[in-house]
Amino acid sequence: MSIEPTEKLTPMDGSAIAKWLTIIAPFLGLIFVIATFAILTGAPGKYLSPFNIRIVLSQTVIVAISAIGMTLIIVSGGIDLSVGSTIGLSGVVTALGINAGYDPTIAVMAGICMGGVVGFVNGAVITTLRVVPFIATLGMLGIARGVAKWIANQEPVNVAPTWINDLVVTFPNPPWLLLAPGVWIAILLAIVMAIVFRNTIFGRRAFAIGSNEAAARACGISTDKLRIWIYTISGLFFGLSGVMQMSRLRQGDPTVAAGTELDVIAAVVIGGGSLNGGQGTVLGAMIGALIMAFLRNGCQQMGWANYVQEIIIGSIIIIAVAFDRLQSRRA
Amino acid sequence: MKKLGILSFILFVVFAIGCSTPKTGAKKFTIAVIPKGTTHPFWKSVNAGAVKAAADAKAQGVDIDLIWKGPLREDDREQQIQVVEGFVSQGVSGIVLAPLDSKALVRPVEEAKKAGIPTAIIDSALESDQITSFAATDNKKGGNMAAERLGQLLGGKGKVIMLRYLEGSASTTDREEGFLEVMKSKFPGVELISIDQYAGATRDTAKRASENLLQRFGDQVNGVFASNESASTGMLLALQDINRAGKVTFVGFDATPQFLDAMKNGQMQGIVVQSPFAIGELGVKAMIDTLLGKPVEKRIDTGVMMITPDNMNSPEAQKLLNPPV
Amino acid sequence: MPILVIRNIRKSFGQTVALDGVDLSLKKGEVHALIGENGAGKSTLMNLLSGVIQPDSGIMELGGKAYKPANTTDARRNRIALIHQELSLAPHLTVAQNIMMGVETSRFGWLDRKALFRRAGKVLENFDHPDIRPEKTVGSLSTAAQQVVEICRAIAARAEIILMDEPTSSLQRDDVQHLFRLIRKLSADGVSIIYISHFLEEIRDVADRYTVLRDGRTVASGKIAEVTDDLLISQMVGRPVDMLFPPRKPPAEPARNLVEVRDLSAPPVLKNASFELKAGEILGIAGLIGAGRSEMVKAIFGLERSEFGKLSFAGNPLSPGRSTPTDRIRQGFGYLSEDRKREGLALDLSIADNITMTGYSSCSKFGWLNLRRQRGQSEELIKGLGIRAQTPTQPVMTLSGGNQQKAAIARLIHQKADVLLLDEPTRGIDIGSRSKIYEIIAELASSGKAILMISSYLPELFGMCDRLAVMRRGRLSPIRPISDWTPELVMQVAIEGEDPLSL
Repeated sequence: MSIEPTEKLTPMDGSAIAKWLTIIAPFLGLIFVIATFAILTGAPGKYLSPFNIRIVLSQTVIVAISAIGMTLIIVSGGIDLSVGSTIGLSGVVTALGINAGYDPTIAVMAGICMGGVVGFVNGAVITTLRVVPFIATLGMLGIARGVAKWIANQEPVNVAPTWINDLVVTFPNPPWLLLAPGVWIAILLAIVMAIVFRNTIFGRRAFAIGSNEAAARACGISTDKLRIWIYTISGLFFGLSGVMQMSRLRQGDPTVAAGTELDVIAAVVIGGGSLNGGQGTVLGAMIGALIMAFLRNGCQQMGWANYVQEIIIGSIIIIAVAFDRLQSRRA
Repeated sequence: MKKLGILSFILFVVFAIGCSTPKTGAKKFTIAVIPKGTTHPFWKSVNAGAVKAAADAKAQGVDIDLIWKGPLREDDREQQIQVVEGFVSQGVSGIVLAPLDSKALVRPVEEAKKAGIPTAIIDSALESDQITSFAATDNKKGGNMAAERLGQLLGGKGKVIMLRYLEGSASTTDREEGFLEVMKSKFPGVELISIDQYAGATRDTAKRASENLLQRFGDQVNGVFASNESASTGMLLALQDINRAGKVTFVGFDATPQFLDAMKNGQMQGIVVQSPFAIGELGVKAMIDTLLGKPVEKRIDTGVMMITPDNMNSPEAQKLLNPPV
Repeated sequence: MPILVIRNIRKSFGQTVALDGVDLSLKKGEVHALIGENGAGKSTLMNLLSGVIQPDSGIMELGGKAYKPANTTDARRNRIALIHQELSLAPHLTVAQNIMMGVETSRFGWLDRKALFRRAGKVLENFDHPDIRPEKTVGSLSTAAQQVVEICRAIAARAEIILMDEPTSSLQRDDVQHLFRLIRKLSADGVSIIYISHFLEEIRDVADRYTVLRDGRTVASGKIAEVTDDLLISQMVGRPVDMLFPPRKPPAEPARNLVEVRDLSAPPVLKNASFELKAGEILGIAGLIGAGRSEMVKAIFGLERSEFGKLSFAGNPLSPGRSTPTDRIRQGFGYLSEDRKREGLALDLSIADNITMTGYSSCSKFGWLNLRRQRGQSEELIKGLGIRAQTPTQPVMTLSGGNQQKAAIARLIHQKADVLLLDEPTRGIDIGSRSKIYEIIAELASSGKAILMISSYLPELFGMCDRLAVMRRGRLSPIRPISDWTPELVMQVAIEGEDPLSL
């Protein structure tokens, strides 16, 4: 026997404002960060120069593409700690593919698919073995890293120059692209995924299982199958990040991107994603990634030591989430 | 709403790109020094050397603004690339870089050159012809010296472990190869029972790797070589833990007070010491000379020395062990 | 001289009035039974007494002084302990640690383990229960033994008033007798006990006096020996059936059997259920909470593994055991969960998403949602069901409870289900929404849908259903036309398990 407290009726416009706020809050944060550093460095022209912005955007590509995948996972109520390792592994696979004489396009596909395979295994372990995502992907963090080092023979796999190397350069070729091809790819994918979230059954169901898995099951959604798909698709994004990473380093480095998963998760969370699932936007995650990139860049321009950046970025994560909680409490 | 957001974001970027151009034109030189990490004592000595070079230049009337910044996550190539790129967009006069990888850092360095910023390489090689100079220890020579010392002490026989540092680190790989080269050619009686284990980035990982090695090869080990400071420290700690320190002939690389104590106690029989101070000093000096338009040597040897319990108090050794900070 | 006096207590949650004038007086050393239908306010009253929630108005006096517990610690300090329906023990800790939780023995901040075990042992001595050793972990004990631990904890805290909320719901018969012996012993030691139970025979066995709550009010109080069961039951249910319910025509005979269920069981709760459900009818399932009603519909819907039984739809046999909700939805079943928040709705998502979630195919092509069509379909249902919302895209969270429930029902309509399994469709909902929901359900039935409605609210079963069955301890009674039932009879079957009609 229980008496359920019915919620207080919230005035509609209040919740509309709250929703609006959660969407623009990360955006305001980004503008705040950029404006602050533009002023602090005393040379807004230099900080906002096309050169610097190109650099920051190129630096963001890897975290941004992964953050798209991570948004999918976090929205569905999961988490993936193996992103950094997957990036390393995919980069190595791509590099090995090129060295084995395959066409670069094939090698890139192999790298992306490697990410998909890792994601599929994550999803399968989570759903069939009933291991919670945190633990399953924590295990995968070690496994993928180990496999990367193993197949790379414990050293970076250097590759001969191909078009892959030009994906995330600072000066795009041809110059009329303005931004590196990788940046455009990230923007395109972000738009595509935003549409997928909004306009496809798959996207809505991802939200549904994240918001209330029991309700989703009662609505006839095969939650296990869906979860495997979600991890696999996200894995493809992490694989693409791995390709981008290999493009930047011009080698498949099995040790690279250790800890990148935390940046990726932070990007999603700063952008309004909730680790409880059911909330998060691709746009927010992109802005979250940019906030961190601009912060790093700005701190360096200021000549601040690394620990200052680390403290600032850590604080931003907490502030962003606290702000989000405050919002939802009011709503 | 979302569409609007994306749109305004793209507009913002395009606007930002379109509206301004970088401005340079400082009267004094700003030199960025990028080490591999910032917490190793080794890099603190490099820093001291760099500061000295800057001070010397100032004494001669050249004003140098020295910026010291390592990658956010130590030993992460991507992070170091971002630091290089950051300095390029900041428009420093020149960069002095200790690359974490001989290939991965090529692109940012060459892009810097394209943006008019020269780079001098220190400590580890970079496979690029776009650099002004390369100031480093002759690591291979260091490895050779370690093998000579260990081989002689073991009398040309016994079982030896070599603990490598980190996958893909050029300077330590040179040391390791130099060590193996002399070991194999000069001391064929020595059996190399493990040469493929890596210590990892920190003392902690190094200690764990060492423990695992010692666990596996137990009492058969007669001699050990570790190829850098953290690997040597980890190995020393592991040997001390199982009470084998002093019973195994141990040659390490780099100098710390701990190693000097270990040599006094007979737990280490030699350390190969490079001069981080000279690396920092000569690297920055080469960059200043480049900026002043003076000719610069392409390859600068910053010296390496085998320090043993017998010669550790010699003035020559002391100069390396206690550099003027 | 009563130890505890409660006068005219009121408490409401938002629009729902839970308590609306409760009086109760408790004497030292007595066992006082608190009885009433589901939702009468008993648990709310217990939560007030134990400081979980605070009353809106009214007076509570403890030993002649005003008693206003701000939280549970406060209540404990005042020597009032609550023993929940669900046990609140830490299963990984030892019996001693559980008993002494909050009153740990310590020496200068260091836990004094020896004294802890000694004192817990002493408390345990009161109940000759040799298998409960202080050093055992609680998780390894039987439910009954855990109940004893829970009571020991109350004693260890030197409780003078112990509140027991349906303590026998998880106990076997022997353990119930054991518990009663404990209660008598406690009462002999001067501890007062408020005892909540649905089972009149239990109350007669253990209680001295009683208070009946109905609709959040005290309606009767007195000595248990002086009333008959019939009087108690009529005091519990005795309210006029109000005008909430729409007129209903019984389905045209002969209606076809849409669903047939034979010997369905889903251990451990559901033991046996058989019934058939006709197109156009509303079949009511009454019974106490925990009797196995929800488990029955979940088993039918494929949310709970059923072990035996037959299930057929429109004459076609369906496999009951391994089917998933996906299968059932395809076959034409629709399910409304009793727990809107945990199993019913995705609260963060929009109304439109929640309504169309089971039937995306009607507004999509090749996996792409036609947002305009989704919105249009939702708007239609929002209007049709009178959901008070501004736009289909606002999160369901922002709706009132009644409107949330309408959205959940809208989903079943959108999904075009032929069989609607409704579990407590009006729980926790204001009167206005309630009558609208009755209207919707009646309309659905008259359009030929088969409806199974579980409810703990008797008037609504009598106001809505064509036929009714009662679930008692996992077994479903035979179905009878509603005209054969009276509220008293339903209570009798639910509580006593005897079906006078079958005698």
